[in-house]
Amino acid sequence: MAKKPRKDSSEIRVIEFVLDELEPVSSAETSRSRKVEQRGPGFQDDLESVSSIDAAAPPEPAVQIGNEMGSAALRQLELPKLPLFEKQDRARLQVQSPNRVYFYWSLKTNPFQALSRTLSAGSAGYTLALRLLDTQTEREEILAVEPEGSYWFNTDAGRTYRAEIGLYSPSRPFVRILFSNTVTTPRKSPSSRAASQSEWRITSHKFAEVLDVTGFEQDAFDVVLAGDDTERVDELTYAALTQLLDEREYARANIAPEDIRLAMVALASGRTLEELRWKIGPALFTILQAHAEHVDSEKAAAALSEVFDIDQSELEEEDYGPAVGTSLVNFPRKYYRGYSPLSSHITR
Amino acid sequence: MPIGYFSLILHAHLPFVRHPEYPEFLEEDWLYEAITEVYLPLIFIFQHLHEVGASPRIAMNVSPPLCEMLADPLLQERYTKHLENLLELAQKEQLRTRKEAKQFTEAAKMYVENLSMSLHLWNDRYGRNLVNAFRELQDEGVLEIITCCATHGFLPLISTEESRRAQVQVAVTNYKKHFGRQPRGIWLPECAYEPGVEHLLKAAGIEYFIVDTHAILYGDPRPRFGVHAPVSCDNGVAVFARDVETSRQVWSDVVGYPGHPLYREFYRDIGWDAPIEFVGPHLHADGTRRHLGLKYHRITGKGVPLHAKLPYRPKLARAKAAENAGHFIQERIAQAHKLRKTFEGRPPLVVAPYDAELYGHWWFEGPQFLDFFFRQLHFDQDEIAPATPGDFLDSGLPIQVQQPAGSSWGENGYYMVWLNDKNAWMYPYQHDAERKMTEIANRFADQNSRFKAQGPGSTSNLEAGTLDFELQVRITNQLARELLLAQSSDWAFQIHKGTTVEYAARRFRSHIHRFDLLHEMLNKSYAFKLSESGTTEAVTLTPEELTLLKEIESRDTIFPEIDQRVYGS
Repeated sequence: MAKKPRKDSSEIRVIEFVLDELEPVSSAETSRSRKVEQRGPGFQDDLESVSSIDAAAPPEPAVQIGNEMGSAALRQLELPKLPLFEKQDRARLQVQSPNRVYFYWSLKTNPFQALSRTLSAGSAGYTLALRLLDTQTEREEILAVEPEGSYWFNTDAGRTYRAEIGLYSPSRPFVRILFSNTVTTPRKSPSSRAASQSEWRITSHKFAEVLDVTGFEQDAFDVVLAGDDTERVDELTYAALTQLLDEREYARANIAPEDIRLAMVALASGRTLEELRWKIGPALFTILQAHAEHVDSEKAAAALSEVFDIDQSELEEEDYGPAVGTSLVNFPRKYYRGYSPLSSHITR
Repeated sequence: MPIGYFSLILHAHLPFVRHPEYPEFLEEDWLYEAITEVYLPLIFIFQHLHEVGASPRIAMNVSPPLCEMLADPLLQERYTKHLENLLELAQKEQLRTRKEAKQFTEAAKMYVENLSMSLHLWNDRYGRNLVNAFRELQDEGVLEIITCCATHGFLPLISTEESRRAQVQVAVTNYKKHFGRQPRGIWLPECAYEPGVEHLLKAAGIEYFIVDTHAILYGDPRPRFGVHAPVSCDNGVAVFARDVETSRQVWSDVVGYPGHPLYREFYRDIGWDAPIEFVGPHLHADGTRRHLGLKYHRITGKGVPLHAKLPYRPKLARAKAAENAGHFIQERIAQAHKLRKTFEGRPPLVVAPYDAELYGHWWFEGPQFLDFFFRQLHFDQDEIAPATPGDFLDSGLPIQVQQPAGSSWGENGYYMVWLNDKNAWMYPYQHDAERKMTEIANRFADQNSRFKAQGPGSTSNLEAGTLDFELQVRITNQLARELLLAQSSDWAFQIHKGTTVEYAARRFRSHIHRFDLLHEMLNKSYAFKLSESGTTEAVTLTPEELTLLKEIESRDTIFPEIDQRVYGS
């Protein structure tokens, strides 16, 4: 897949065609086509393919279950088949986790025909592209795609995203053809906001205690660490990351301090960088990956110890294993077996 | 005055598995095993606790598909044969073990006693319909039965508001049919929540729902009492969250009670161990070995290979269950003291939700554990009191308003189990069907209003009451059933988990396929009507199509009361 570098929205302006064929629509609004067609090859042969929507569909069972049916109509039920996809505009974005979303799309018509009718010679150089837009920061990720496919994006927690299919050309406006529903990725850490009513208000230290007795020691750690002076702790957090990266410079933009702390504690507890994929935001993961040779458990622990005075013995991972039976019920991992918000080194 | 409250919540759900097209079907055993090992023992224990005055207060979700299966005459008849077959085998086993394997005699005798009691309860006490039993326990004040989504659809992965609403509304209607009242609470399938769901629940008259721990802990603003008090969404629907400590103590494979060496080993079963000529008459006609439910070994120890497991001793296991129950209570008392200290004197509410199938199926002694737990809770101490979420709401205690965070109780806490590389292929098909269903419901509503406008005496072939209209209602309602069945989160779960992948994928394909066949059928009749507009000629199906419709209706019988209008926008 040809992946384009991230760009600020200021670099690319967006235009939208108002022609019938190129009217931007959300998948929730599409219901126009009824024609069933076998999906054909991509509009542009030279584009690298993104996995087709149903590429992972399991094959039909080798042995068909069935008995004698009375008619041809009933025999259809013996061989259940997924229908051929109607030629239709689809653009659906789905949340998998705070750091991963799934997008699938398909186009009803060939957008290049309409583009060439509108721009004639100016249409050359456009590529069919997928754009994921953080609607709050306007940050975007663009990649070349086929007219139909699916893709997993690495995202940040607590952000709002929309995906768009359109035509991309460097230094020219993005021509939006289709856009998805908007999703907000879930939080993956406690809110920093206490209730405004006195009856429900709680201090950070007390809330850390509540988290601790609930079995969320990792979050208790983070809350007590951040305290009520988040700016100071955020600076310390960036300093810890700088130390982990052997004092190398990195762009702080779009990296949440709590994500850094989560990553460093996980690394210090013995997790590998690869295990953090899809568990931290894309900007932080990219930085850590770029400096992978400098990133290891020992250095993460040393940085945390020096900056936050966390004792190495507190950074032991505790795993409760799976649930009895087939359930996949979630047991939050405890990275801080020896940690207590009331007795930890960091609160002394 | 208790120092804390304990709310046990059991989630009883199985996907709708009913195959009238086959005389026997392996996956129907899921229901039969659950009835024998979980539902009948729990019903027996709860009823007995009530009769001795140790009435527990338990919230229990009996999901709509499970209610529909428990009330289904075909499955009731098949289960009766299943149970009789099992009892016959157990009786033979009792004789055999006396002569040949005395180390297993105690277990064999237990099975005969248990199964005999089960058959009595099934046939005589509850008339082969366990919905009666659950309803009775609710009416007696033992259970607070809550509903679930119609087919356990995973709400955050359903694409349209109408389809999400239908999952809730169909469930509530079905609950009223089975239990004769409005449900107070709902078990969100997989505890999967995303902001906004509460509005659907409020519209359906639901007072509360259950979420995983971090839904509240990560909610905004910070919860003053963590998960040990409910919160309320800004529309007034209350939210109760899972306590992690009680989950680990019972459910963890590493530190949980069910892993004790004295408890029964799940994976040694007579269906696999006994000579085929002995168990053959008790297997399905194809003679394939399968779990039969008679198990003679205990866990023995971590890592002990199956062939080295020691004989199961029911009395020792029962004593251990009593001991674990006592320990669990002591842990709750200690937890309540700790939480009260943290909460400056406020009594905590510990919400402990589990899959019901843990109690009896995966952990054979689980029902005994609950029996001992509630007896000891009632007779031996007064620091912890059982309470349901509804009881808590009735207390009138103030509740903090908060926006809970998106979450589920599945692995890693979000939606990964139900949306990943293995099962993502399902969603475009499901979402297409969801969109079409609302289109159809809207078209139908529009058409219906036009017929009504024509008034009595109209000769239109589309008038309500004609064969044509009835057929359209049938097809459209069946479309709704097929969509609901395709949306069961069970299929995506099983495909991800790698268990019964072929069956789960086939079921999903089947319901999408049937939806597609019915959709074509409906569209064909619409096309005909449009071209023949103004005539009085009846539009009907070909005999072949009618046969197909009848066959699909006869297989996917869930929710006979369904009304497709629930999908209208």
